[in-house]
Amino acid sequence: MSEKGKQRDTEEQAILEIRDVSVAYDGLVAVNGVSFCVRRGDIIAIIGPNGAGKTTLLKLITGLLRPSGGEIWLKQQRVDRVAPHRIASLGVTQVFQDIQLFSNMSVVENVMAGCHVWTGASFLSTGLRLPHSRAEERNISDTALRKLSLVGLGQKAFYSPSSLSWGEQKRVGLARALAAGADLLLLDEPYGGLIAEEIGRLSQLLLELQHRGITILMVEQLTDVVLDIANQVVVLRYGEKIADGTAAEIQGNEQVIATYLGNGPLEGDER
Amino acid sequence: MRTVKEKIRALLSGREHRMVLALFALVLMTVPLLVGPYAVIVMVDVGLYSIVTMGLILLMGFAGQISLGQGVFFGLGAYMSGIITTRFGLSPWLVLLVAAVAAGAVAIVVGRALVRLRGLIVAGVTLALNLVFCSLVVSLRDLTGGATGLPLIPRLPLGGFAPSNTLFSYYVVWIVAILLLVFSLNLVNSRTGRALKSVNLLAGGSEDTAQVLGVDIIRYKVQVFAVGAIYASIAGSLYAHYTGCIEPGAFGVHFSVLVAIMAIIGGMTSPWGAFLGAGLIVSVNEALREVMPAVVGGSTGAYELIAYGSILVATLLFLPQGLMSIWRRLQPQERFR
Repeated sequence: MSEKGKQRDTEEQAILEIRDVSVAYDGLVAVNGVSFCVRRGDIIAIIGPNGAGKTTLLKLITGLLRPSGGEIWLKQQRVDRVAPHRIASLGVTQVFQDIQLFSNMSVVENVMAGCHVWTGASFLSTGLRLPHSRAEERNISDTALRKLSLVGLGQKAFYSPSSLSWGEQKRVGLARALAAGADLLLLDEPYGGLIAEEIGRLSQLLLELQHRGITILMVEQLTDVVLDIANQVVVLRYGEKIADGTAAEIQGNEQVIATYLGNGPLEGDER
Repeated sequence: MRTVKEKIRALLSGREHRMVLALFALVLMTVPLLVGPYAVIVMVDVGLYSIVTMGLILLMGFAGQISLGQGVFFGLGAYMSGIITTRFGLSPWLVLLVAAVAAGAVAIVVGRALVRLRGLIVAGVTLALNLVFCSLVVSLRDLTGGATGLPLIPRLPLGGFAPSNTLFSYYVVWIVAILLLVFSLNLVNSRTGRALKSVNLLAGGSEDTAQVLGVDIIRYKVQVFAVGAIYASIAGSLYAHYTGCIEPGAFGVHFSVLVAIMAIIGGMTSPWGAFLGAGLIVSVNEALREVMPAVVGGSTGAYELIAYGSILVATLLFLPQGLMSIWRRLQPQERFR
């Protein structure tokens, strides 16, 4: 296939396209001219040292930040000037590095909050408990329980988030994102703070989600873990993309080895 | 033993509140038969304050927007009802609804301007709005009666009659309060309630997370501001028709701060807190009015302020989540560990 043909094929499969995106805060360039494509159904890892612009990139995709230059296309729609809640309605959600569970809600309510994006009962109809609103609430609670069971926390539905371990809180965050029904999941350091057993369980879960057709874009410091499961790896340094390819390609990329990892092997370098 | 699914269903359906609600309504409906006329008058005040406080709890306790300007909307309802019914002779019930819609519309305009502000700045701006409102009422003497007030506001009619006794006002106020309580409880145990809690930065919400989950935070904040205004306006209209005469002093900053104190003392995590806060403050107020002149002599006003302050400080120290937290502590631990 010609280069142009390959590019067109990639664009057609792409769920997300980042085109020459830049952003700066207070004169500091956090992301500079970054471009890459995310294919539907893939697991993509963005790696790079602290301050590389990884988290900023996720916030640009969800609309929490607006780029100063470039374009972001999601499912063939340009979204870099679209409000975050509207981007969410296109099937994207994010789990933050610090999870940000709502501490004023129980575990199950947190997951139910994830269903907001695909439900539509108004202030009035919820206040009057109209039949449509009642049916919707039943649907929400069923979905929330299914997602909690998926992450193994069905029996802790009425716990306060603060009473859960860090690993459990991460799972609730993931359940909440899954309840949103997103087909593009953005995860900011999902493995951070997890013990070895939890890391293995999370990898399994992410692969299962991929199998269900969910595209996962994650920012991660644990390079050895993500290289095992990612179809594509993007490497950032000081806000610029220095490499983009499969795990094998990245591990053999001289620029990555020289500028980001030094002379050591890529695998396990950041643990 | 109930399964998790059954517990959620019970919570969502409002079954957990239904028994308490029925008992509450029953007690309220029988109270006038058991107490004297003075207590009925006090209970009307509690009902009116409870309605305004409930709206403020939705705004402040659930959405995290501090308002010290509920007096504006209480006053809007009262003056719209007073002016329109005295000048044009329209049905007080119809005007009550029109005033509520108008107060909601004003709140949407004001709320849109306030929504980007945070915390104490919102409190300051709403407080300033309350001052402006009172000045306007005093200035527009031809329309509002100015500082001397607007008299001869008709009573709420029942069929072809307009019962003038306090008992009728008692039942009207408390039926409205219970209906609004049901509405509020439905609201907070729903998609809307969770959206409001998700944007509440004062109590563990996160605007970033709310937005990536699809919550239009501006829309929800403006809407709950309007709902709070509608509650206050309805209470204001009922107050105007109950007293028959209104003057700007009743809608000042003192009123707004008092309502905020009631919300904090009652507890802002549930609409029920409105009744506890309003009940306690109005009761203390009345008790002081009765007892203090006999014991110490002099003006009662100063003692009231000291009492409010003391109760507020004690609540913040010992029950930071208000009187409602006592009820929550009595609930089975399983529900919210």
